[in-house]
Amino acid sequence: MSTKFRAELRNELPLWTQQGLLSDDAAKQLASIYQLDNLKHESSNLLSAVIFTIGGLLLGGGLISFVAANWDAISTPVKLTLLVTALLSFHIVGRWLWQTTHWRRLGHALVFCGCLVFGANIGLVAQIFHISSSWYAGFGAWALGSLAMAWAFRSWIIGVLTLFTSFLWFVGHQGDSYDFTAIAYPLIIAAALLPLAWIIRSRVLYTGTVIAVVASACVLAGNHGSGRQLLITMAAGAVFMWTLGELQRAARWRAEFANLTVGFGLALLAITAYVWSFHIFWSPSPFGTMSAYWAIVFFVLAIVGVVLWFARRGHQTRSLALTVGVLTAGGILCASSLMARADAPNGETLFTITTNFAALIVAAVVIAASLIDERRAVFWLGSLYLVQLILSRFLEYETSLLVKSAAFLACGVAVIVAGVGYEQYLRRNRPRAEADQPLTEAKGTGGKIFE
Amino acid sequence: MAAVVFQLLILVAVPARKVVTLSTGKTVLLKVQPVDPYNMLSGYYNTFNFDIADVNAFPNAQVFPNDSWVYAIVQRGDDGVWTPALLVPDLPTNLPENRAALLGQIRYGRIKYGIEELYVPEAQRYTVGEDLRLNPDKARVEVKVDKNGHVALVRLKIEDRIYE
Repeated sequence: MSTKFRAELRNELPLWTQQGLLSDDAAKQLASIYQLDNLKHESSNLLSAVIFTIGGLLLGGGLISFVAANWDAISTPVKLTLLVTALLSFHIVGRWLWQTTHWRRLGHALVFCGCLVFGANIGLVAQIFHISSSWYAGFGAWALGSLAMAWAFRSWIIGVLTLFTSFLWFVGHQGDSYDFTAIAYPLIIAAALLPLAWIIRSRVLYTGTVIAVVASACVLAGNHGSGRQLLITMAAGAVFMWTLGELQRAARWRAEFANLTVGFGLALLAITAYVWSFHIFWSPSPFGTMSAYWAIVFFVLAIVGVVLWFARRGHQTRSLALTVGVLTAGGILCASSLMARADAPNGETLFTITTNFAALIVAAVVIAASLIDERRAVFWLGSLYLVQLILSRFLEYETSLLVKSAAFLACGVAVIVAGVGYEQYLRRNRPRAEADQPLTEAKGTGGKIFE
Repeated sequence: MAAVVFQLLILVAVPARKVVTLSTGKTVLLKVQPVDPYNMLSGYYNTFNFDIADVNAFPNAQVFPNDSWVYAIVQRGDDGVWTPALLVPDLPTNLPENRAALLGQIRYGRIKYGIEELYVPEAQRYTVGEDLRLNPDKARVEVKVDKNGHVALVRLKIEDRIYE
């Protein structure tokens, strides 16, 4: 439940009791269910965490800058002692505050800053000994040290630091050598961070890791394969993210993670379909070797996910049409990638049409989701995506200015008419929905595609 | 606390090989030039172009593919500077005193030894750059080479001026 909703509820409750809509007992019950008394404490905790982190960052930056500025005046043993002392100070004081006092957030911030100091120390040690290496090697060492600390302190923000530094290492390493560690990186990072995100219930870390898994697979396919291998990996990865989120929601496995995963999956599918809807991306090219291993993995996982989702979705039919739409669009994109051949007759035209069709399905899914969930922002995203798709076609191909002008006018009118229609739809449905919906439903995930 | 110890171990592991090489290695003096006299300062370090980094300086360079690891055999000259002699795939044994084997990796026509960058104090960065630009033929880099061919950079010498 969002803090914003709880804050609004806290403001509304006294009004409702004054107007006789709620009894005092019911208001107290609601305040207890939504823990409204904790709101002030929570917001001050968040503020203090932000302030402590910024303070820690400045402190760490100042120490490192001081050491670096006095480089020539300090002997090597003293330099190393200062670096290790700075690192240990952050970690020891941070741990002490975390575990033995009520300054838990300050302790967390100091440990996080200690991990940043650790990264700076790696660079400074490399300087002391004139170590010349690949630009990404230090990020690999940084990621390893941060991973250990993220698990030790069950820290989501150190987990995010691990994700960021390891991804930088991966990008550099796979460019230099396409070896086992590069190919297995998506699996390694998933095994390292997904269980942590699951245990500490961190949506940011969980979603970030899933995105990193799919993104790294796309980097491998794009950098070491061809455009078509990138296409199939992106499409399969997007469908995998969607089915993962839907399955989590249906099975109530950390359902709070579902919305972000589903949203990013749909966004990736939309981007994939849009990029390959351009004719130029289907110009004849050699087939090359099929090395998009991770597309196969995503595809298999997506199929398993759909089967499990179908078995566990119960009587919910609301997501069925949307899931069928996503699977169809993803399937069309994957099939187009697999079937496209440089020597296929009229292949460019055929596959341009199929990907445009897939993009239209994605737009329909987004708009349908906005209608089901009554989410205005999602409706406008879907509508703008559709308009962009149509206008791109008119700008892409040689058409007269008169036709282009007509297309712009038609799109403009269509957007206005659709917007008016959607607002009327919301006005018609909202009072009824609000009357029908029991208050307790608002506490769960509600099965919304986007929340 | 195990995680903190692990971070310390990583910090120790980063320079470990260089420390071993510096303490046990043989001293070798190499001729260097800055990569680009007008663009050699990047941050607080200087990038070097060693004579031994050019694969064509070795007569048998063509037999080694890109990315392969090689041992560059260098030989001490009369002026004390070590010059390219031969590339071999395996660590040679029983090298004479006036020869040394340096481990490097061939990357697109160059050999990387991990000693291409010298970090200099902030106060000296412009001095070093200017000295290198004015005396490109007199710059020498002192390195240490251990028995396994690993190389560690010790200092830069330009005539009697030392930067480390």
